[in-house]
Parts: sequence; C-alpha cells; structure tokens
Amino acid sequence: MSNNPSTPEGGSHPPPLPVASTPPSETTLQAFADMSAALTGFQSSFIRPFLDPVNLSGTFYTFAVSQVGQPRMDALLSAFQALSNQTPKPTPQQIADTLLETSLDAPSLQAQLCQSIIAMWYLGSWYTPGVLGGNGFAPPALQVISQQAYTKSLVWNVAQAHPMGFSAFTFGYWSEQPASLQTFGVDITNGGGQ
Amino acid sequence: MKKIACVILLSVVAVAMVIMTSIPATMAPVVADPAIVLSPNIPGDATFGPLPPNATNEQKLLAIQGDFDIYSWNTFIALNWPPLPNGNGDPNKTIGQNGDNDTVWEQYRDVADVFLPGGATPTYTGTVTVPTQCKASYKPGMRILSQVGKTPTVLTDFSQPFNTGPLIDQNGNYTRYEILVNKPMFDYILQNKLYSKAGQKAFTGEVAFPCGGPTGPEGAIMVKSAWRVISAADRGRFHTETVLVYTPASQNPKYPASCSTKLMGLTGLHIGHKTDSASQWLWSTFEHVDNVPTEAEVASGKLKAKYNYYNPKCTAANCPPNQVPPRPWNPTKVSAFHSQVIRMNMFKGNEFAFQSADARNADALKLLLGVNTKSVWQNYELISTMWPTNTGKCLATPGDPLGTPAPNFLANTTLETYIQGMVPNVSSNCIECHNNATMTNARPSDFTYILQRAQ
Repeated sequence: MSNNPSTPEGGSHPPPLPVASTPPSETTLQAFADMSAALTGFQSSFIRPFLDPVNLSGTFYTFAVSQVGQPRMDALLSAFQALSNQTPKPTPQQIADTLLETSLDAPSLQAQLCQSIIAMWYLGSWYTPGVLGGNGFAPPALQVISQQAYTKSLVWNVAQAHPMGFSAFTFGYWSEQPASLQTFGVDITNGGGQ
Repeated sequence: MKKIACVILLSVVAVAMVIMTSIPATMAPVVADPAIVLSPNIPGDATFGPLPPNATNEQKLLAIQGDFDIYSWNTFIALNWPPLPNGNGDPNKTIGQNGDNDTVWEQYRDVADVFLPGGATPTYTGTVTVPTQCKASYKPGMRILSQVGKTPTVLTDFSQPFNTGPLIDQNGNYTRYEILVNKPMFDYILQNKLYSKAGQKAFTGEVAFPCGGPTGPEGAIMVKSAWRVISAADRGRFHTETVLVYTPASQNPKYPASCSTKLMGLTGLHIGHKTDSASQWLWSTFEHVDNVPTEAEVASGKLKAKYNYYNPKCTAANCPPNQVPPRPWNPTKVSAFHSQVIRMNMFKGNEFAFQSADARNADALKLLLGVNTKSVWQNYELISTMWPTNTGKCLATPGDPLGTPAPNFLANTTLETYIQGMVPNVSSNCIECHNNATMTNARPSDFTYILQRAQ
C-alpha cells in the first residue's frame, strides 16, 4: 500500500524527486554546458555564451533535474568530469561515445539520461529517459520546455534554418548562401560538422 | 619591490586579457566607470566599466545593462538639451534650467519631410511640408504632428506598429506620433537616393547606416515620440509643445482632413541609434512617469490618483486592460473609450533589466533635480535599453544576425501598447521586429521601416 496521494484515476503519484533547494552554481552550470557541448557536437561557448540573457543551459539543467532528481544528475556530471580530467584529455567525441555507451547494446540509465539531454538540446523537448533509441519512432515528447527552447533548439542551427513562426534572418535570406555551420555554433574540430 | 610590482602588473594584465577575450571586443572596458552626466554631447556609443571578478551570468548582464542604461540616459539628456540655432546642444545652457525647453531632437528632420511626394529630393533644413488644412494656422518654425500619405501599416499618424490600434488617453483624445531622423541618417538616405522608390530600385548595395563610436561622432539616430493633448494646468509635468495636429482624411469612417492647434505633452520617447557595439542598433525607451501602472502596482493596489492611460477607479471587469479600442477609430472626435493600459512584466528571467533601470533612473533624477526642482525632465523614466549581446564592431555576427538581444523583450506602453508580452516573434522586441524591415522593393533596410515611405 503506497502512501502517495491518489490520482483521480485511482493510481498514485510517484514520490517527489530530490532536487537541490539552492540554485545551481556557476561551476555546475558550466559543467552541464561543457557536457552538453560534447554530447551535441556544439561549441561550449555557444551552448553557454559569456553573456547569456536567454540562459537556456540554466533552464535545461533545472528542468532535467526536476525530471530525474539531483543525485542522478550529479552522478552524470561526476562521470563527465572524471572523463574530462583524464590524461591525455579525450576529445568531445570520445567523451560523448563513452557517456552514451555507444559500444554497448543496452544503454544504462545514465546513458539514457544522456540521450534525453541530447534530445532536449536539439528539439527543445523532454523525452523521459529510456524512450529514445532502439528501433522505430520514439513516443511523443513529454513537453516542449519553453518557447525559447523551441525557437533556439539546435536542430535549426544544424539545418542552418529557423523554426516555423520565428526567423532571425532578414527578408529574402532564402536566396543567399547560408552562413557556415561553425557560425551556427557547430563544433567543426575533429571532423565535426561534416 | 620591483619584482612584486611586476607580478602585480602581470596579474592585472592577465585578468584584463581574460576579460578582453571573453566579452565582445566592442564592449571592452574603459579605465573609468561610466556615469550619467549633464552634457549636451550625444554619446556615439556606450562605454563600459570593468566586470565584477568571478561574476555570474546575471551579474555580468546587470553590469553591462547598467552601462547601456547610462548611455541611454546620457543620450536622453543630450537629445533633450536646449539647442543652438544650428540644432546642436547649447553648451551655455542646461537641460531643464527653466523647467522646460526646446530640444535637440526636435530639430531633427521629420520623416514626412524626407520622403516627399513624387520622390523629390529632400533637404535637412528648409521648408517643411504643410498640409493644406494647416496652412492658415501655420507660422514659420511651428511643428506639425503629421505623417501624411500612403504609409505602410507600421506607425501611421495615430496608429501603432502592425496597425494594432490607436492609444486613447483618459480624456478621450488620441495619442499622436512622429518619427524624426538625425543628420547622419538623413545624409545616408540622401547620398544613396533612398528617399525615392526609383532611388531604392537603383541602389545595388546593402543598406548600412553609419555607426557611432565611443569617441567619435554619433551614428544614425531615429527618434519616435508619442504625445497627448494636455491642459495648461498640466504644463509643469510634461515637456510640451504647441503644435499643429493634422489628421488626414479617411473613408472608413468617413471624415475630412483637418488641422488644429493643440498644446501637447510628451508621453513616450523611443531612441534608436546604430553604434559600433550594436549593428542591430541600441534601443532606448523612455516614458512619462504618469503613463500607466505596472502589473505589480495594480496587483498590490499601490496606485497613483491619476494616470495618462489608466483609470485607477475602474475595475478590471469594467475596464479590461490593454484592449484595442473598438472601431470605428475617429481621431477627430473625443472618444468615449479610454485606453486602460498596464505595463506588463516583460523581464521575467531578465530581472537585471529592472534592477539596472531603477538604479539609473534614481541617479538621473538626482542630477535633473539638481538643475531645477521644477524641471519637467524629472517626470520621465527609462524603461530599459535593448542591446545585442553577441555582435561584432558595427557588424552582425553571421549565424546570429539578431545578436541575442538583452533584455529578451521590451515595450514602450505608448508605442507598443498592444504587443506587450513574452511570446517570441509576437511580443515587442525592438531588434527582432526591426530586423524584418525592408525598402519598397522588399530588400532589407537595416532595421528601419521608414524607407518604406518612399514614393
């Protein structure tokens, strides 16, 4: 018998996830941004610019923690830090391969969280860890995280395009050659962006 | 001792280099902290103080927003300085020394006199376009609030961007608008013949207005102002002008062109300036302090007895806020509908914009009151300055043409009354909106809609 409050349908809510009561530190947010950069193939300075009035990395970090709990996010960031501190320093691609466990058939819970973080950056939406990957289509996203998560999600940059209903380009841009992938924030070192 | 000094110096240089390589080069710190000053000199660009050590993202944004807000106040002070006959600020006078004064920006050229019938060549000084209905009342030097002719649905004589509707004050009078450009902006239009449709068609380059620099002359500036009819008793609270108010004829509703002499009080001032640090232009927006209450003030009930565009005695049920006036719109008559306007909180997540504007407004108020406790300029406040956080020197960053503006949204309640909010590409964002501007041939016009007025 669960002590969780009943839902109108007679089921029960899951227990609340542990979330830190204080806002994330700059160090934590930078680590999350650096890890996100490695996972997505974008430049860290693009993921978390020096001056960031949109603060998508803060929004995404906070949202992900609210979904999976602080301990799970802390563990993932610790794993990322441990990889980053190795000598010689692995490339972002090697870090991403390790965190995503690309050599394994069945990704761990931690690797599934990495998949959700990648989808969050690319699509601005949250997919519950574990629903992505494998064959076939993923189920619909739980939610689009915010308006700016939609307009600034990375898929548009990779496509050198813009979402429906929002364009940063001037009228007639479609007749011009698009700017390079690098200027859209893609990390083109080590073969990235090819 | 020399060694210690050398180490300290190297440390300072190293820290400075970290700062210099981190922030956009055009926002490199200067030695002294910028400050609001009483000066007739229009700043060519913002200048920047050092960032606090180990600053968080919010602290960095607050610091640089502060520098831009100082720039905005210095621009406001210089543009509202008493002018010399040549239009520049008179160094022997001071803003508000006599309470109110004529201003530098009012010597700029009204766009009605830039885009002339038939695409005629304009002049910066000289005769102004006087509508027939105004000729009997017109005296040389008198200003006319009018934007006559076929204009796009952007900022016509009594309506607002995207034709979202007029703004009607608590006395039932329609708010009037005007747009003026400074000499560098006018000269660029003239030199490139962009004042006519034919000239725009023949122009093969990319429209690029001149940028102001921190030590150099000002760049292209355009000023948009909003005015309401006031009584002589209210003269002490507003910058006022006795002007000719022209209303062009309309077919729906049907009314003829008319012109009348009115005492008008300034309620909104929007200043766009293209600078080295902002190829997307800097957008400084000021309002009269009596215009409207904020959402928070309405919620708390801490209201003034009287506003220009809000009735504190009317409930939300009876006077729903921020509603477009019902048609028909007839600015020649006193309206039974009075706009009930509230300033929405558009800085959620960008609270640094509130903090900075509040601090700079307090600094400016002290200076203005120091000149004259009856200065009308004490009754104006900066709402905020929108600036690009990611930009090159007088050039946009490829891949980020908007430069990721801060704050994310900004509206002047007299100019963007009905597009307040926080919905991307729908709510008011100066840079995003003006990035869509084109000439009459649909080619980009460098963040200004006025070139669409060419005939």
